[in-house]
Amino acid sequence: MSNISTLIWPGFADTTRRRVVLVIRLGGLLGLAGWAFSTPGIISLPSFFALLNAISFIGCVAVGMTFITLTGNIMSLALGATLSGAALVFLATLTLGVIPAFILAILFGIIITALQGAVIGWLKANPILVSIAALALLLGTAQIVTSGQSVYPAAPGSEIFKTRIAGIPISALFFFVTVAIGQLILSYTRYGLAMIMIGSNPRAAEAAGFRTARIIMVAYMLAGAFSAVSGVLLSARYGSGDMELGAGYDYNAIGAVLVGGTSIEGGSGSVIRTLIGVTIIALVEVVLILRGFSDQMQYLITGLIVLAVILLHALGEGR
Amino acid sequence: MDHAKSFEDRPVADSDGPILAVENLTKRFHAIEVLRDVSLSIGRREIRAICGENGAGKSTLVKILTGVHRIDEGKVILDGQVCDIRHPQQAQELGIALVSQELSLAPNLSVLDNIWLGNREVPFFHRRQALRDKAQRALEQVGLRDLSLDTPVEQLSIGRRQLVELARMLTRNARIFILDEPTATLSDVEIERIFAALRSLRAEGKSVIYITHRLGEVFEVCDTVSVLRNGALVGTRSTREIDRSELMAMMLGRTIGEMYPQWQEGAGTPMLVAKGLRVPGVVHGFDVAAPRGAVTCIAGQVGSGANDVLRALAGLVAGADGRLSVEGVPLSLRSVPAARKAKVQFISEDRAGEGIFLHLDVNKNLVATQLDHHTRFGFLDRRGLRATARKLAAAVGIDPTRLRSRADELSGGNQQKLAFGRSIRPSEVGVLLMNEPTRGVDVGARAEIYRLIRAFCDQGCAVLLASSDIEEVLGMADFIITMYRGRQVGHYGRAEANLHQVLGDITHPVAAA
Repeated sequence: MSNISTLIWPGFADTTRRRVVLVIRLGGLLGLAGWAFSTPGIISLPSFFALLNAISFIGCVAVGMTFITLTGNIMSLALGATLSGAALVFLATLTLGVIPAFILAILFGIIITALQGAVIGWLKANPILVSIAALALLLGTAQIVTSGQSVYPAAPGSEIFKTRIAGIPISALFFFVTVAIGQLILSYTRYGLAMIMIGSNPRAAEAAGFRTARIIMVAYMLAGAFSAVSGVLLSARYGSGDMELGAGYDYNAIGAVLVGGTSIEGGSGSVIRTLIGVTIIALVEVVLILRGFSDQMQYLITGLIVLAVILLHALGEGR
Repeated sequence: MDHAKSFEDRPVADSDGPILAVENLTKRFHAIEVLRDVSLSIGRREIRAICGENGAGKSTLVKILTGVHRIDEGKVILDGQVCDIRHPQQAQELGIALVSQELSLAPNLSVLDNIWLGNREVPFFHRRQALRDKAQRALEQVGLRDLSLDTPVEQLSIGRRQLVELARMLTRNARIFILDEPTATLSDVEIERIFAALRSLRAEGKSVIYITHRLGEVFEVCDTVSVLRNGALVGTRSTREIDRSELMAMMLGRTIGEMYPQWQEGAGTPMLVAKGLRVPGVVHGFDVAAPRGAVTCIAGQVGSGANDVLRALAGLVAGADGRLSVEGVPLSLRSVPAARKAKVQFISEDRAGEGIFLHLDVNKNLVATQLDHHTRFGFLDRRGLRATARKLAAAVGIDPTRLRSRADELSGGNQQKLAFGRSIRPSEVGVLLMNEPTRGVDVGARAEIYRLIRAFCDQGCAVLLASSDIEEVLGMADFIITMYRGRQVGHYGRAEANLHQVLGDITHPVAAA
């Protein structure tokens, strides 16, 4: 039957359509770059570091989200809360030392998302609904444990995450390591390839003998671990933490994943693409700040970019 | 709409000219000509088969006639008038109706609602009885006299749904019915009903364009046949003038000696043995033994449970129950990884849904089941995987230049070879389970698939096929198990089996008691 794209461009072959979409994408990218570099003060050390910071904090969550999206589970609304929770764990356990606290925070993130991944993998539960439930559980539990108060470092030591090595902020280093590990897992391990196959066609993956539930759980565990890294970095930066710390990070992360070109249906995408997406989102954020726009404006612009990407994707796929 | 109606009212016998003709039709996608200078005309009261291998241009022709694609050169003439079909709605208004493989019925609505759904002639305040009467007449025309208008469509078999779809087109004053492989998923009994409906449509003065891969159907129900090859028309013949092998030669541009390979019979000891296999509601106690070096076919109609037997053996059915052993070693029925480990490979009949990864490239598809052999400490040996993919592609005859193409760009035949390629492991003896091995596969590729299955067998593997295509069963099997409603009816060696017996078994289970 007829569909929108046959009405807009009847009779065009798929390849033509994909090419047109690619041209629009590149055009948009060039326009964005022009707009960014015409901003006064963009080419300066402070704005470069601001950009790097924004990329790192969103980026770790976005790399984690990539695994959830790739396996065909769309997105998780609970990664922001996982990030916050991990931050609280980190701050509260600093008495044990920085490295044990870091490890505990990562473990916390892994366990929280592993549980969700298990429910989604074995019970084939709807991933969005599971993440909403997890979000509510996390927020509720944190409220009880902290009585709604901010958590401050239980011992000094977290400052180490604010230092620079050879002029590069530690947080950026962490992010680049995250990207490298993420892409390594995706391209060079059996689990990575299996995740792409499950995202592409879960029933075919099952018939091919993959242990799909286990692999989905691992994808969620990676998402949790990477989000927790972001939580540690953020709490070190602000010197305190509460459940608001990661609010909105899941939205920015899924935005970055989609802008990067990872398919929301799963089965196609990469961590490198997410790196590109996160750079675009963070660049917009920094430029808007430099140009003196409000937070609300940032939401609006980010929303418009994500919407444009979704429309382009739909047209490219011929719907 | 009025335009279409005026034709409907005109007595058919008055006009003897063709109802539909295309002249010098050319269609290009970029530089590639998918249809080249095609001319054909279809008369009133004619059932015209269109045959050709995958990629011959059949679907493009259908899409042009139904307004999905526009023509680049040439013209379409309907009732002697040149017309430009711009979109699918317009095609419908002109009386051209497509019954595609993917039916467009709403499953939880009743037959009546489905027949009138979306029909612009239904006024907001309508007389229900008049609509019921008209729907009933349409159902009778397609041979569904006994069907209640209030039955929800989801309770109907796929064959009956197709008939309802035909009835729906009738109420919309369709004059030309295009059926795109209507029988691909049907059992023989249902196919017979579709044929009866088509004959009755012809008697009513309608014309039918019938696209099929099954050559037997061409001679059974069609008056004439047009053959396309590589986008060009090879010719149009009356089905009384030519025979099967001539038709095949027209399609392939060469003669193929035999569709089915010849082989030495020599069944070995049983390799896979299942006893008392049950799938709740579908299979009720089924025994099967697949000897090594032989093809065992489970013949049954759609819904007989034959496909479910193999799915259960592959570990894909959660509620399956029974005793299974491979080479004497007991095996759990509910785990695909366990089945794989026991070297049991399964190829699904539902290629798009369960068989292959349509959006991934040929490379990844081929190695999907081979990852275990190319992993060290969780890391992939990417070079080894590429080499394996090349080897497998060569083994099943997939062009190596297509290794990086997406699987959905391949023809049905090539996709099936892909599914096949991933399941073989050269130099390893195992069990191959295959549901409907040649569904949606064209004649040329079909013979290749059969050869591949036989070659697999000659390695000493046991092959179990489930098929609703009796010709295929008789052509390929060393042993035939007939199945009806979840139970075994008969068991035959190659020499004892005949068409009559097998057909009788899967439709009238006399021997079941």
